[in-house]
Amino acid sequence: MFMGLAAEKYDRQYSDRQLLRRMAEYFAPYRGRLIRLVLVILAITAIGLASPLLIARGIDLVGAQPHVGAIVALCIGLLALSVVNWLCNLMRRRMTARLIADVIGQMRNDAFRATIHHDMAFFDEFQSGKVIARITNDTQELAQVTVLISDLISQFTVLLVLIVALFTISWQLTLALLVMAPLVVFLGWAFRRVARMVTRSGFRVIAEVNSAIQEAVAGIRVAKTFRQERAIYDRFRQINRRSYEVNLRRGFVLSNVFPTLNAMAGLGTAVMTYVGGLAAVGGAVSVGAWYLFLVSLEQFWFPMTNIASFWSQIQGGLSACERIFALIDAESSVKQIEQPHAQPTIQPRVANGDGRPLALRGEIEFRGVDFRYNDQQQVLRNFSLRIAPGESVALVGHTGAGKSSIIKLITRFYEFQGGQILVDGRDIRTFDLAEYRRQLGLVSQTPFLFNDTVMNNIRYARPDLSDAAVEAVARRIGDGEWIEALPNGLHTQVGERGQHLSMGQRQLVALARVLAQRPPIFILDEATASVDPFTERQIQAALNLILANSTSILIAHRLSTVKSVDRIIVLDRGKIIEEGDHATLMARSGHYAMLYDTYFRHQSADFNAELYQKLKA
Amino acid sequence: MKPATPASSRSTTSEFSVEREWHSDRRSPARWVFSHIWRYKLYIVGILIGSLGNAGGGAVMPLLVGRAFDAVVARPPDIATLGLMAVLIVASQIARAILQLGRNFSSEIIGQRIERDARDELYTSLIGKSMSFHDRQSIGDIMARATNDVREVNLLMNPGINLVVGSAAFLIFPLIIGPRIHPQLILVPLFYVVAYVIAVAYYLRKLAPATERVRRAFGRMNATLAESIEGIETVKGAAQEAREIARFRGMVDAWRAAAVGQGDVESLYLPSLILGVTMALGLLHSLLLYHAGAITVGEVVAYNGVLMFLQFPTFATQFAYPQVSSGLASARRILELMNAETSLDENKGGYAGRIRGDVEFDHVTFSYDSDERPALQDVTISVKAGQTVAIVGQTGAGKSTLTKMINRIYDVDAGCVRVDGVDVRDWDLDALRRQISTIEQDVFLFSRTIAENIKFGCPDATQEEIERAARAAQAHDFIVSFKDGYNTVVGERGVTLSGGQRQRIAIARAFLADPRILILDDSTSAIDSATEDLIQQAMFRVAQGRTTFLITHRLSQIRWADLIVVLKQGRVVACGSHEVLMRTSKDYRAIFAGDDERPRKPDARASSLADAPAAQDARQLDHRE
Repeated sequence: MFMGLAAEKYDRQYSDRQLLRRMAEYFAPYRGRLIRLVLVILAITAIGLASPLLIARGIDLVGAQPHVGAIVALCIGLLALSVVNWLCNLMRRRMTARLIADVIGQMRNDAFRATIHHDMAFFDEFQSGKVIARITNDTQELAQVTVLISDLISQFTVLLVLIVALFTISWQLTLALLVMAPLVVFLGWAFRRVARMVTRSGFRVIAEVNSAIQEAVAGIRVAKTFRQERAIYDRFRQINRRSYEVNLRRGFVLSNVFPTLNAMAGLGTAVMTYVGGLAAVGGAVSVGAWYLFLVSLEQFWFPMTNIASFWSQIQGGLSACERIFALIDAESSVKQIEQPHAQPTIQPRVANGDGRPLALRGEIEFRGVDFRYNDQQQVLRNFSLRIAPGESVALVGHTGAGKSSIIKLITRFYEFQGGQILVDGRDIRTFDLAEYRRQLGLVSQTPFLFNDTVMNNIRYARPDLSDAAVEAVARRIGDGEWIEALPNGLHTQVGERGQHLSMGQRQLVALARVLAQRPPIFILDEATASVDPFTERQIQAALNLILANSTSILIAHRLSTVKSVDRIIVLDRGKIIEEGDHATLMARSGHYAMLYDTYFRHQSADFNAELYQKLKA
Repeated sequence: MKPATPASSRSTTSEFSVEREWHSDRRSPARWVFSHIWRYKLYIVGILIGSLGNAGGGAVMPLLVGRAFDAVVARPPDIATLGLMAVLIVASQIARAILQLGRNFSSEIIGQRIERDARDELYTSLIGKSMSFHDRQSIGDIMARATNDVREVNLLMNPGINLVVGSAAFLIFPLIIGPRIHPQLILVPLFYVVAYVIAVAYYLRKLAPATERVRRAFGRMNATLAESIEGIETVKGAAQEAREIARFRGMVDAWRAAAVGQGDVESLYLPSLILGVTMALGLLHSLLLYHAGAITVGEVVAYNGVLMFLQFPTFATQFAYPQVSSGLASARRILELMNAETSLDENKGGYAGRIRGDVEFDHVTFSYDSDERPALQDVTISVKAGQTVAIVGQTGAGKSTLTKMINRIYDVDAGCVRVDGVDVRDWDLDALRRQISTIEQDVFLFSRTIAENIKFGCPDATQEEIERAARAAQAHDFIVSFKDGYNTVVGERGVTLSGGQRQRIAIARAFLADPRILILDDSTSAIDSATEDLIQQAMFRVAQGRTTFLITHRLSQIRWADLIVVLKQGRVVACGSHEVLMRTSKDYRAIFAGDDERPRKPDARASSLADAPAAQDARQLDHRE
């Protein structure tokens, strides 16, 4: 519920004028509709004023011994007014619903479009849940507040016009009425404060209680395995009782609001009855006018208490608005350089026989690159590395050595500060970003799958592939045995984030996606979770297929991966401290040998044999 | 209370029950909610008195104002009565506020108690469900029902029913007061009540589907958005931004259409039109009666004032009924969960000896869903007491299903599972499960101290015993490295433990509980070799002296197991010791002989380290390209 309320680094302060201007821009295309809406609201105001006047007139008729015809005419007038009023309100609500839905929808589209084009640094830094909350919930809140404001505006217009009319009838009584305004506003304000206090302190306890309840629910399975049902139930009861007490206390405070307001309204009526009665006796006002003041009291209370109780909500809406604009305005640090002489950004080159243009050769070169994340420690300093087309390279090193930074720079997810990165001899900053990324095949540590079939996930980067083509690709991986293991073959629905599949299967689908894409450059951040030996074998098979065709940069966690690349690069604090293939580096017994001992040894047959001997002993 | 309705809380077979003096009626959501409300008769009376008092107090006010009018128009004016009326108005409104407060308190108490009781009932029922039920149900879903849905039932009472009852009371008074002023004056209020009931019923019928459409469209929009944002790396990597933007736009358009539809239904709210008509008719009727000399000015004022109070039910409805109906929907979801049958029962009085540890699978076949391919097919295995069995196979091969047959999380469809020669279905469930422990892949720890977590299965264990278990599980060293040692709180408000550390705590739990049969789902992996070494030692030790089933990816465990069962699509494809399988099974050899020694290219220098069959295998893969 409070997700997304927290301030983020990209948040900024907008002045009220800026906010209004931005909002006005959204409403500008609907100027005509806005004007019509205002007209309808004015009509409603006029009616809101006319009907109490009519009723008061009716009461005055009473003293004058009227004709039946006058009475009937009056009531028909009243009836007509209420029908017109209803129709106007109907129009107002229909128009508002459309206007708000259009504006909010446009705002959502804008927010999403802006968000999806932010660089990866943005997504690494800011929790996706909070970003999502801004696009959906904040806009929703803004919509509700806009409706609220339009309601309040129309209520207040009625109120203002009414007060003016009352003044012309009797300024003394009007003053008596107005004297109570500060009292009402104060009451509304005081309640808001008290409610907020109990609500805030309540929320903390409720959050605690909720998480305790969640734990009690999640713990049932463990309790059952150990036959501790009674113990966990007793604990649950305590929490549940606590939850009850806290909620009840809060409820009691909030229960006071309406009774108090009613008592106040009663007091107001009593005052108006007495003062107005005296005025009527003295002949200062007619009986009908006195009645008018009594009726007006109702119309007076309603918007007053409303504005008091909705004030915080309106403020909430304004800050929601601010959060949405901040999200749209957040700046990207990755910037492409405009090429003055427009030429086809990537030279097409026909690939081996299949007719598909395979643009890049896949040569990558880092030349004295400096890189750090936003105001953090330098990760790469004067870093140089050349990877030949078709070469496969594994990056190894402790956490923070700079492995993933190198990948993030090649994928252009982050901007570097100094030096140059060349791909096929051309500065990486001069490519068209979308076209360039189409040349990359990327598999991240926790491969992401879309809630769709396996088939559609495989062709995500190549929507043009036919079913048969996708199947052919999938079957190339280890005889296609992995497809048989899926409950519904390639048509299996993978579920949200691919949760219906095992981790190993998700990796296979992600690798198949790259196989289908046939990119000149392949980038893999290998998963650390272990997979069963059968699936692992198939993952290895898929990897071998890709490595054979693409320039590959891998962050390796599996022994078999480091063994299968052409060159291992050992990184330490942003520097290359050793390179070579597995056997050479092992023979050198240097840094790599030490890393091997820490991270890879347990995956080897030797380790297992050793351990086996140790345990047998 | 009368329990003993056929479907009351007692009837479902349950593994856990609590003695209570009350029972709820679970035949339908409305009955269930009602049976909970009905327990608090005193507060129901409070609500009724409060509601009538509130509406009555409201209705008295115009009567008093009317008397004041009569006093003013009287010749000569009666100032004393005017003053008296003002005083009475204040007094009556304060009394009204007090009664209204009583109503609010009563309904608050009932609402909160229903939340408490319903959650208690749900929780008790959940504890009573079989493990197979919990296996099927997602924890997130259960949590949503135990928190949000239970809260919705509370809101159904307050403000929901509270407002419904409260506004209904306002319908009554014009019907009573009108005819007391003049018999004819019942006509207009009666017209209103009839028209109002019809119009509200019509409105609610239209509104429900419209709201549902908006909810669904919003949900779909949210899900699409979440997917694009969470998969942003994939989206960007594949340069598919334009497609995602178009997809989202489609969802926004659908939401817009639904929202406009709901707005249209809401704008067509007839009761407010009916109210306007009623007011005009009321004024006409009373003025005509006054004209005929049947009533006084004050009575005209009083009557029209009473009619004004119809505003309250007119507008409260728009809010109160949707609240009630969403509360009933929540009640339905809670009931679904509680009424779900659980197929197993405790079988009290069944066989209850001490387990030696022989386990036999005799032609076992089992499927989760009768239309699906069986998860296990004709599985026959024989395990002797004290043996360690490694179960290996691809995801979905049926590894964990196999182990779930032993402690009867599921019962076989055909064949039988025997522990110590006795069919598990003939065992006393409690005795059977008490002697079998499971360490799941995802170890659940409570947000309590480490010591409490370790002794969870044996609450009486001493500190010394806890430490002995932790040492045996290779967990002692990392535990004492924390500032608070064994008293370190884990979880949300404490220390976050790594997967390997959680696993070792679970192993320590098992050491303390000392089960005769241990089921260990070991699919986590250690990142570094030192931790791997510790975990393996802990597992080896905990497997000693009991029958152990290991679902494992670890080669060393597979190697020291007494028996290895290789599953493929629910069938046993190979079974035997490591040595035997290496000799007899080609499949097994291909995977487990030097698994890590498969270079990519035949000419890679690393191949000198690889053994022959693996290198051959890799070459074959390359040929397929």
